[in-house]
Amino acid sequence: MTTTQEPTVNAPAKPTAGYKYIGTDRKRVEDPRLLVGRGNYIADMKVQGLLHAAILRSPVPHARIDSIDTSEALKIPGVVAVLTGEDCKAHMNPCMNFGPPTIAQYPIAVDKVRYVGEAVAVVVAESRYIAEDGVDVLDVEFSDLPLVTDPKAALEPGAAPLHEEHGSNLAYERTFEFGDIAAAMADADLVVSDTLHWGRSAGMPMETSGAIARPGNNGVLEVYCNSLNFSYLQFLVAGALKIPSNKLKMQPVAAGGSFGSKFTAHKVPTLTAFLALRTGRPVSYVEDRLDHLMNSDHHASDRYYEARMGFTKDGMITGLDIDVLDDYGAYLQFGTGTHGNALSQLTGPYRFRNARYALRAALTNKCQQGAYRGFGSEVHNWVLERLVDQAATKLGLAPEDIRRRNFILPEEFPYKIPGGNLYDSGNYPAVLDKALGMIDIEHWRKEKARLREEEGRHIGIGIATTQERSVFSSTEFWFWFDEPAFPITSSPESATITIDPAGAFQLQLHCQAMWGNSPETVATTVLAEEFGVEPETVNVSYADTSRALPGTGPGGSRFTVMVAGAVRGASRKLKKKLIDIAAHSLEVSADDLELVDGQVQVVGAPERSLGIPELAGSAYFFALNLPPGMESGLEESHTYDHPYTTLPAADRSDLGVFYPIMGHACHIAVLEVDPDTGQTSFLDYVAVHDAGTVVNPKSLGGHVTGGAAQGLGSTLYEELVYDAEGQFKSSTFLDYLVPTANEVPPFRIGHVETPSPYTEFGIKGGGEGGRMVTPSVVSSAIDDALAEYGMHVQQLPVKPADIVATVQNARAGQ
Amino acid sequence: MTTTEHQAAAVDTETRTITLRVNGRDVSRTVETRTTLADFLRDDLDLVSVHLGCEHGVCGCCTILLDGESVRSCLMLAVQARGHEIETVESLSADQNALHPIQEAFAEEQGLQCGFCTPAMVLRCKEIIEDGKARTDDEVRHEISGILCRCTGYQNIVNAVQNASRKLGGKEAGA
Amino acid sequence: MVATTTVRDSRVPGAPSPTTHDRLVVYRTTIGQAMKPPRFQYRDPDTLADAVALKARHGSDALILAGGQSLMPMLNMRLAAPSVVIDINGVTDLQQITRNGDVVEIGAGVRQSALETDPLIREALPLLARAVPHIGHIENRHRGTVGGSLAHADASAELPCTAVVSDAVVVLQGQNGRREVPASSFFDGFMTNACADDELVVAVRYPVTPAGAGTAFVEVARRNGDFALAAAGVIAEVDGDGRFTRLAVGVAGVASVPLRATDVEQELLGRPVDPATIEAAAKRVEAAVTTGDDIHATSAYRKHLAATVVSRAVLAAATDARNGGNR
Repeated sequence: MTTTQEPTVNAPAKPTAGYKYIGTDRKRVEDPRLLVGRGNYIADMKVQGLLHAAILRSPVPHARIDSIDTSEALKIPGVVAVLTGEDCKAHMNPCMNFGPPTIAQYPIAVDKVRYVGEAVAVVVAESRYIAEDGVDVLDVEFSDLPLVTDPKAALEPGAAPLHEEHGSNLAYERTFEFGDIAAAMADADLVVSDTLHWGRSAGMPMETSGAIARPGNNGVLEVYCNSLNFSYLQFLVAGALKIPSNKLKMQPVAAGGSFGSKFTAHKVPTLTAFLALRTGRPVSYVEDRLDHLMNSDHHASDRYYEARMGFTKDGMITGLDIDVLDDYGAYLQFGTGTHGNALSQLTGPYRFRNARYALRAALTNKCQQGAYRGFGSEVHNWVLERLVDQAATKLGLAPEDIRRRNFILPEEFPYKIPGGNLYDSGNYPAVLDKALGMIDIEHWRKEKARLREEEGRHIGIGIATTQERSVFSSTEFWFWFDEPAFPITSSPESATITIDPAGAFQLQLHCQAMWGNSPETVATTVLAEEFGVEPETVNVSYADTSRALPGTGPGGSRFTVMVAGAVRGASRKLKKKLIDIAAHSLEVSADDLELVDGQVQVVGAPERSLGIPELAGSAYFFALNLPPGMESGLEESHTYDHPYTTLPAADRSDLGVFYPIMGHACHIAVLEVDPDTGQTSFLDYVAVHDAGTVVNPKSLGGHVTGGAAQGLGSTLYEELVYDAEGQFKSSTFLDYLVPTANEVPPFRIGHVETPSPYTEFGIKGGGEGGRMVTPSVVSSAIDDALAEYGMHVQQLPVKPADIVATVQNARAGQ
Repeated sequence: MTTTEHQAAAVDTETRTITLRVNGRDVSRTVETRTTLADFLRDDLDLVSVHLGCEHGVCGCCTILLDGESVRSCLMLAVQARGHEIETVESLSADQNALHPIQEAFAEEQGLQCGFCTPAMVLRCKEIIEDGKARTDDEVRHEISGILCRCTGYQNIVNAVQNASRKLGGKEAGA
Repeated sequence: MVATTTVRDSRVPGAPSPTTHDRLVVYRTTIGQAMKPPRFQYRDPDTLADAVALKARHGSDALILAGGQSLMPMLNMRLAAPSVVIDINGVTDLQQITRNGDVVEIGAGVRQSALETDPLIREALPLLARAVPHIGHIENRHRGTVGGSLAHADASAELPCTAVVSDAVVVLQGQNGRREVPASSFFDGFMTNACADDELVVAVRYPVTPAGAGTAFVEVARRNGDFALAAAGVIAEVDGDGRFTRLAVGVAGVASVPLRATDVEQELLGRPVDPATIEAAAKRVEAAVTTGDDIHATSAYRKHLAATVVSRAVLAAATDARNGGNR
């Protein structure tokens, strides 16, 4: 069933040249409704007879559920039902899962709880207030089980298993080796090594996940939700609910941010659908912030590394050797896909051929891991850049020099990296040079020395790069396994363009798309470029799953590339029809016609033309004016699949091309550290990104800035903490510290445009890169500021207490 | 921590009829006394621009103007608003085709992405400009720091406040 | 939240440690799983006498709702579940700031934001004007009250710290009349105070800061607007020779109550304003730091931070004094 798709190589477009709409700072078409407070978020929906759900979350990390007494709750006027794991066990299949089937998960804990916050019981009532009154009076008896909070201890013999059926807490183990890592290390003049921990944070959108499920006509269950790529996964949700897939209609609802955190379905839409099925009434479940902090779809990466990297005395990288232990949490929803992202850019922007990547994923009594902007590649990039920085220091090379020496050069693309993925294009020296120029690095190096000497201040300069893989292929979901259950190779996106009888444009997208990105702006910009109509005049809608064409939705920085392909494909079909109608009407050859600014006209004689409204009128109402055999109407759809993916080798010695549209970025930060408070403040920060052809520079800059702010959060502020007893310590917004405008510096943004040869218009994905480099550059700058105290960031977030402890220890030793 | 018996819905539902002025119009409603002002505005008055991001007073997405001053509407009871004047973003413009200059400035600068903090930011922007506190970018950053935005990284919001300040003839912003 | 889970521990004596599976613990969840307030009776007296009478009648079953910036989150999360909520926002008698000779009386219902802009406060109590902007964010201060902050008695909060530094007096009223409690004894434990169940905090009296005195408030928090990891408020007077003639140093965030750093005060009194001397003296505060490790800071860090903010605040207040202070 699998096929290898060879690339269609388009001539690389000249960035933005010759485009009227692409590449300009146009206003977003999404914004007017958002600015008047009509974002139509899930909590804004009013449904007749709607019930509301509230969840009793587990107060204990690992325990058998002995009994749940719901009698007091059911006595409260307005409480309609209380559902527990027993109901799930009786009426559901386990939720969709890309991990081993022995790690089953239901939306409400079945038989036992595995982390603090896991759903134990759900009260459905006439209002959220009453539902919470019901939660208040539930009585649950638990029998404690031994808990596992440390991933190393989780893998020790005798550790209590979270999933008895799975046998141990080792969720996954595999080692990939590409090239000859032993020889690479043996041949190296310098081997640097480090022990690193990337702590747990999360996407943490301002809007939580939510869903409304309603029994509809013909036995169809309608689910409205702000999560999920559901045209891709809807049938799996139906499977969990034990209903036919055509009896489940999922309707996308715009989300107030996701950043990966609304990527799955098991906890919110599936649960809500189940509540509606059991009560036979419309039910809303919208997470409150406590729900979201401790029991969201997933937290993000939490990884422990032992990493080594070999270098020649000239600073050339010989190899990279990684052992990573993943503190995965209690379930394995996404398998180890977050490491597939790491493998897609295993060597970063650098040219070397030897790498080893050994992964163990441990099950622990914590909320499970999943997606967050970068999807695990940002973690790998931090490890890589930590090692490169260390080598630069030891070899006496400037950080920009060691990087420049190892860069893959523009003429080497397309470049196949160890492991099999391919980088399509790039100009890494140009990005570095632009960043160095924007920040005036020599000025800051002098200033750093002067401020230390004259004012006793501690200034640090950090330089870091990243690859930004974009447009994932679905092979990354299964190449981890030798015998995958479902070796999928499609990850399509679709668009439908309709010109109505009056000549106005309707554009339908076929996935959940509005997560705070700019799907409508991008899609209408491309449509405008094709037809010469203003983007704001196009009406955009989203198909529900009863009519949606294949779609995968945003994720892995794929949407801009994919929707551009889909819209352009549909546009070509529709333009051909317009031209054929015009050719028939004007009695000229279609080859002599062109579409310019909404008019079909004769090449060289633009006065002989027909406007789109006239052609639309013919298409709908004057069948006898159409070319023989042509169907009435003006609607075309196009499904655009991944532009370039290949199958992995059977023995996984080569993982195939699975993430080839490769962006790149360089950030340079100048910051000051107060050694006595551990506080940091930025003096300057530049971020230069190459995301191929830029559709809307201001939008891309906004995403880079927002991503960088999130990266800063993961680096200095945000942490989802479980203590040794498995208790969750970050359960409010007073403890989980999202950066405010005070903490986030004014990032100065630059763009370099190296078009992709494989995508329409040469666009690359650009949604995640901001977060993928900030942790590296800020770690580096902190180390640089406090080099005299031996500062070396090994754990994120790095807190003021860590900084002051290092300084104080160094002072005590002096 | 030592309670062994829960309270079993000991108190009956208690309601009050309140009159207040919202976006320039007097409204009168009967509400349960425990209802938060945020829920009242959303559920009873359909002012769904008031967004619930945390409901414990940190994120600021539910910010409204109470007698002209920004407050967290999740940290007030609806009954406490009786006799007061409330403005939500709809008071600037509720018409997507006729935005208020502040809303227009946010559109021009792309000072929003998902839109969830946006009504709060727009209202706060109005207050900052009226108070003459948009003199520098740093000042604007400080003044908007009570509202969390997860999308923009704030720079385009700062730009939008400065743009709006110019549009409204406020003090010219420093670079 | 889970911290409020009721635990009935039925371990047998001599059983293994509580983290082993032999432990059998029966949990009954009660409150803290919520984000909407529980049911309560809402009372909104117009007069202080009515408020006092209500408080006297309901005692500890009633909680006072002032600005709501602390109580409302606790109600929403159902960490507090009072039978009666007494809303005192309608008691206009509590909303006055008045100067009486060398004392400024601030009514309990005065909004924190008013302290930032009130000319009387800026002139007579400059430390307050400096400290108040550190309280949360402006949206909190527009609503939060002076009395609410004092009654909440959070040791990391700014207003309790200023009250201790300033030798302020908290005025309480019950049905038997008023009594005045010095701030130093008003805060008597972790999140507790000397206000009896049948009393209300009605005002706080601050001595007017002497002409020429310098003030400073230095705070370090994870983010601007968060609870202080450590903060110091200082009032200093310096003579013509540049020596400290009066020094009051308060520290927030490092113990169960706001502290006076009396060791630091005594060591510096009479000594010249000199950064090295101040820095050395400030280290004496470390011994008073008792707050343990939490997710935001270690105890060791807090000790160093306490000394750092004290040192910086003392130096800043001295500098302010030498520049003439608030007038």
